[in-house]
Amino acid sequence: MTVRSLVRPAQYAALVCYILFLGFPLLWLLSASLKTSAELNSLTVSLLPREWHFDNYVQALARQGLVRSAWNSLLVALSSTALVILISLPAAYVLARLKGLVRASGIGWILISQVFPVILIILPLFLVLRTIGLTDSLVGLVLVHTTYTLPFALWMLQGYVTGIPVDLEEAGAMDGGGRLEVLRRIVLPLLLPGLVATAMFAFVSSWNEFFFALVLLQSPENYTLPITLKMFIGGEGKVALGPLAAGSVLAAIPSIVFFSLLQKKLTGGLMAGAVKG
Amino acid sequence: MNTRVASIAAIPATMLLLTACGGGDGDDGGAVTLEFQSLSDQPAAIEATEQIVESWNQDHPDVQVEIVPAGWDGVYDKLITQFNGGAAPDIIHYEAAGIVPFAVDGYLADLSDLMSDAMRVDIPSGILDSVTVDGQVVAYPTELQSYVVFANRGLLEDAGVRVPEGETMTWEELREISQATTSGDQYGLGWGLSSPTAAFMSMAPAFGGTFFDGAGSDAGLIMEEGEMALPELVGEMAHDDESVQPVSLTQAGSDVLASFYAEDIAMTVQGSFQAANIEADAPEGLDWVVLPPLEGPAGPWQAANPQTLSVNVDSEHIEESAEFLEYFASTDNLAELNEADALIPATESAREIMGTSLAEEPGWEAILESADHLESSPFLFVDAYPQWKDTVATPAYQRFLAEEIDADELREELQTGWDEITQ
Repeated sequence: MTVRSLVRPAQYAALVCYILFLGFPLLWLLSASLKTSAELNSLTVSLLPREWHFDNYVQALARQGLVRSAWNSLLVALSSTALVILISLPAAYVLARLKGLVRASGIGWILISQVFPVILIILPLFLVLRTIGLTDSLVGLVLVHTTYTLPFALWMLQGYVTGIPVDLEEAGAMDGGGRLEVLRRIVLPLLLPGLVATAMFAFVSSWNEFFFALVLLQSPENYTLPITLKMFIGGEGKVALGPLAAGSVLAAIPSIVFFSLLQKKLTGGLMAGAVKG
Repeated sequence: MNTRVASIAAIPATMLLLTACGGGDGDDGGAVTLEFQSLSDQPAAIEATEQIVESWNQDHPDVQVEIVPAGWDGVYDKLITQFNGGAAPDIIHYEAAGIVPFAVDGYLADLSDLMSDAMRVDIPSGILDSVTVDGQVVAYPTELQSYVVFANRGLLEDAGVRVPEGETMTWEELREISQATTSGDQYGLGWGLSSPTAAFMSMAPAFGGTFFDGAGSDAGLIMEEGEMALPELVGEMAHDDESVQPVSLTQAGSDVLASFYAEDIAMTVQGSFQAANIEADAPEGLDWVVLPPLEGPAGPWQAANPQTLSVNVDSEHIEESAEFLEYFASTDNLAELNEADALIPATESAREIMGTSLAEEPGWEAILESADHLESSPFLFVDAYPQWKDTVATPAYQRFLAEEIDADELREELQTGWDEITQ
């Protein structure tokens, strides 16, 4: 048996370990969501519940308007993702292709915008949104999430645009393609993996965002999922661990579906870029 | 292509319209509507709160109360923004330690003249003091917890220990029982002290410890015998006697219960509300009791930090809000709420009712009696306390319990850290 013949099994073993490392917290969450409170407070630890306790899911769904919050989160996350992509796509192209002062100041703005802690801007932001009547409003939250995510999304996307050789665009122009034609037929397909990655980032940022939603939203009917899930953690150190785990499992489903749908585009786009490049 | 571009552009606009559909103000035909931001978190307590509000709304068609549920996590930041942005609700649920800064900054209404005499008499003076800032009552105290010792009667008896039954028991007795019940892999005591400051602050009055002299920004730190007594005692029990389960010192309070259920520890110091969890989760046959309140050289005193209901000073309906609070804190309502939340009512009359209704439930007699020894504590009124607690005291106590520093170094770290924060 040669060393080379051991390399592939070792790679697979490492991959399995890595997948377990990544997946174990989710498995544990799923397990916790199916355990009774007594089992969760027991020193006997096992991945499989002693008895399958689906009541946690019943409690999670019955309490705190979990489904409505999930719907609100989905609307906000999809809206802000769409807005982020719409704004950052042309802006990233300009940032990546232009030289000089515009690019330098654009990049500078992106970096500077990342250094302000949320706690510092929340009060002025609250006052601005209040003036225009957008506190306690999902529209207001979409705008805040978009604004907050946009700089990093722009930074990500302009990196992808920079990776596309200008020569390809010039070749397209030489073949008679107009500016928009070149962008649509050459740049956009090559940029697809970057767009998907940026969309995923924007979606997850909005889906998980807690602090802005906590402060800006006042009415329970507008609460997003992170706010509702946090309400399973009470005062005096009380935690409804089983229902919290069940709620978290349910909360993860839309993200998993969103990622499942987009991950094919992510790899597909990469392949398309490789062939055409 | 144009159609496709237009479709793509329409997506966020459509979604924004969809998101705009959520929420909206209701119009209830001219009646006054009070917003009540409630932090009730347990299903039974949420239900009890809703029942109280529903009953009020039925009896008071002109003053309707609307519950706005919120979570404990992040509520301080939420309130700061709400107050500064002029968007705070009329009635605010929080805790004594949290509302003092808002009261000092003038965001809470003075309820001194609006609280009835009957209510004022019904609330023990130590608890009323905890919600009195600069001579003004700024909240109705509603629910409390005390620190109590839960013990496994079987393990105590197996070790030849008589289960204490007096009105109080001394810390020295606790130490002796802890030593007597330690053997092999079993420890006498488990105490979740991953965040030890709150416990040490709350139980210091039994040793005459006050920690602070003065209030607000003028407060000074005191680090004398009374303040150092409890950490030193715990340190001796853990490291000299070796009767405190070492891992428990790094755990949160509720995490220690697993060891209690597994009979790895004979006793555990917990918040009194854990009685309900132990009753629900303990293995069948575990014979547990709540030991009498712990008494130090200065008595069985503990600091009270009740949950509170306050009124926003900018509310247009302060009097109506206070009337609702008077109703909310009435005897039957408070008893029902505290029973649902497994906490101790802030009024004597509600505690009596709970004493009757929970007479058969294990532990509750001792828990309700422990509330006789709750008093206000200076740390509630010290501006720099939250910062000192998080950045200085908790890490220093953790290092002390881990034997990284000794008692003298602990005292010095606490004092130096305080000086750096306040100078």
